[in-house]
Amino acid sequence: MINKKIGVLLLFALLISFGAKAQSATSMRINEVLVINEDNFVDDYGKRHGWIELFNSSAGTVNIAGCYLTDDKNNPMKYPIPKGDVLTQIQPRQHTLFWADGQPDRGTFHVNFILDPFKENYIALYDADGKTLIDEVTIPAGQLADISYGRVIDGKEEWAQLKKVTPSTNNLTLDSNDKIDNFRQNDSFGIGMTVTAMAVVFLGLFLLYIIFKQIGRLSISASKRNAQKAAGTTSISVDAGQESGELFAAIATALYEMSDDNHDIEHTVLTIHKVQRTYSPWSSKLYGLRQTPHK
Amino acid sequence: MQESFLTFLGENLQLFLTYTGVYNATPGHLIMILVGLLFIFLAIKYEFEPMLLIPIGFGILIGNIPFKDAGLQVGIYEQGSVLNILYQGVTSGWYPPLIFLGIGAMTDFSALISNPKLMLIGAAAQFGIFGAYIIALQMGFEPNQAGAIGIIGGADGPTAIFLSSKLAPNLMGAIAVSAYSYMALVPIIQPPFMRLLTTKKERLIRMKPPRAVSSTEKIIFPIVGLLLTCFLVPSGLPLLGMLFFGNLLKESGVTRRLAETARGPLIDTITILLGITVGASTQATQFLTLNSIKIFGLGALSFVIATCAGVLFVKLFNLILKDGNKINPLIGNAGVSAVPDSARISQVVGLEYDPTNYLLMHAMGPNVAGVIGSAVAAGILLGFLG
Repeated sequence: MINKKIGVLLLFALLISFGAKAQSATSMRINEVLVINEDNFVDDYGKRHGWIELFNSSAGTVNIAGCYLTDDKNNPMKYPIPKGDVLTQIQPRQHTLFWADGQPDRGTFHVNFILDPFKENYIALYDADGKTLIDEVTIPAGQLADISYGRVIDGKEEWAQLKKVTPSTNNLTLDSNDKIDNFRQNDSFGIGMTVTAMAVVFLGLFLLYIIFKQIGRLSISASKRNAQKAAGTTSISVDAGQESGELFAAIATALYEMSDDNHDIEHTVLTIHKVQRTYSPWSSKLYGLRQTPHK
Repeated sequence: MQESFLTFLGENLQLFLTYTGVYNATPGHLIMILVGLLFIFLAIKYEFEPMLLIPIGFGILIGNIPFKDAGLQVGIYEQGSVLNILYQGVTSGWYPPLIFLGIGAMTDFSALISNPKLMLIGAAAQFGIFGAYIIALQMGFEPNQAGAIGIIGGADGPTAIFLSSKLAPNLMGAIAVSAYSYMALVPIIQPPFMRLLTTKKERLIRMKPPRAVSSTEKIIFPIVGLLLTCFLVPSGLPLLGMLFFGNLLKESGVTRRLAETARGPLIDTITILLGITVGASTQATQFLTLNSIKIFGLGALSFVIATCAGVLFVKLFNLILKDGNKINPLIGNAGVSAVPDSARISQVVGLEYDPTNYLLMHAMGPNVAGVIGSAVAAGILLGFLG
């Protein structure tokens, strides 16, 4: 019994840990990098430096405090992201920016390394254990000034030099909703949507119908078998287990009426029931009464 | 001194006057207040869905008390106001799934399990949604708006609110009020079309009484139902997940307290909050537009299409069914969800033609299948247009 409980607890802990993993720092992605910043975004000190944008690709808030940013493959724990800063909580599908100015004393979001404009730059994000690699990228050498290198679509695989520099915001912004445009252009009468959607609705409920038809058959045969076992015979009516609700309602009504007829309040009839009280010393009043106290 | 004091008083009174509802009232506010009063009247006098129409009707009164826009945080659209905080459940879409939890905990799927072919009627009635979608597109609505309007035909208030909050938040007030109004008016809308589309012989069809359903089947239903429908349409998960979860609470037999809370205090609380905030969201300034009128028209049409589709589908289905297994087409209307009102209408109309032919238990099958069908349809629309 105890083993069972421990088993259930372990399973529960395992499930929780899987759930926790889904919204841990492993959902973070290095999303966009600007190596040469000549006439671009300025930091909170009014200075221009290269920057690294991280993106939370999950649907939950992620705290990146304790994780590490590095530009050195041999030193994964080069810049520990400080703990205790509320701004390290990254909202779902949101971004945050780290300044590669080599001046960590300027705040949480200023790393202790800079990006070299003359050679390729390796950047990696490690989890809080300093061993688990979350994401890494090598920015090719020869980057142009004020042109960032990033994922074409936030969090997705493909990297390129971006047409627009987009610090702390989406790399690809849409002027319209593709899905709606698609329906507007290709299904202006709504026939396609109707046919597709009704087919899916029918399919879903049809599958349910098929499954429950089979389950119903199994249930009926199971109830027949049970009835055979109970009766100790092999000849059971074909309709066993097929009793209608009406039948049960009729039986219930009959039982109700029978019990109703048993009452003793009837016109001109006096029913006398014998009152019986079985004696037991446990219910004797004698022992329940308080005795005259002895002084 | 005295004169300046009087001037001061006069100015203050004038200023106060500008804050009153009387000063800020517009014809729109008065029209909406009359609509609210009508809802309350219909609920009390004719008992049309009173659980919905009373909160919504009173909410309309609350939402249409005119006030000066002076940042007093009283209006439902003013961020941080009490009404606005309560309205979050509607805009963020978490009231409807909780209502579905309660619906699941109070729904007995036995009728459906004992005669699973009735599920197909619940599917057919969803034509109301897509019929309205097609017409809304022709009236110039965007596809996402048309989808949100079409869902009124599902006759399922929580689903309509859920989907419109995702697809067309600006139309949600009109869609919600329209959906709930027509659900209340189901006893008026459906019977004429049911009579029109059936012959007297069809109305007299007696259906086989449903068999007794074992508790194992009842337990399996929500589990299989969830897995099957949500694997097919994952976007329906919030509604279908909660619906089937509530039903499992009921049928498992070991979580009676949870089931009672879900179908009692929880659903009552959410119904109150949902009704009052949906009603209050119909502020005349936001609500009285040409689009709202169009939505009301489309809503009525979608109910008619859904009813007709359900009835006609049964007639069609009967062509392939053997004698003795035929379905009374009067239960076709119950495919629109509106639980249990539309099933009750099948019963009432059926009894008009044969006082011993009780259709209620049969009509409950397509009725609850309609709930599943409309949630699946909402999931599809959300998946395509969201």
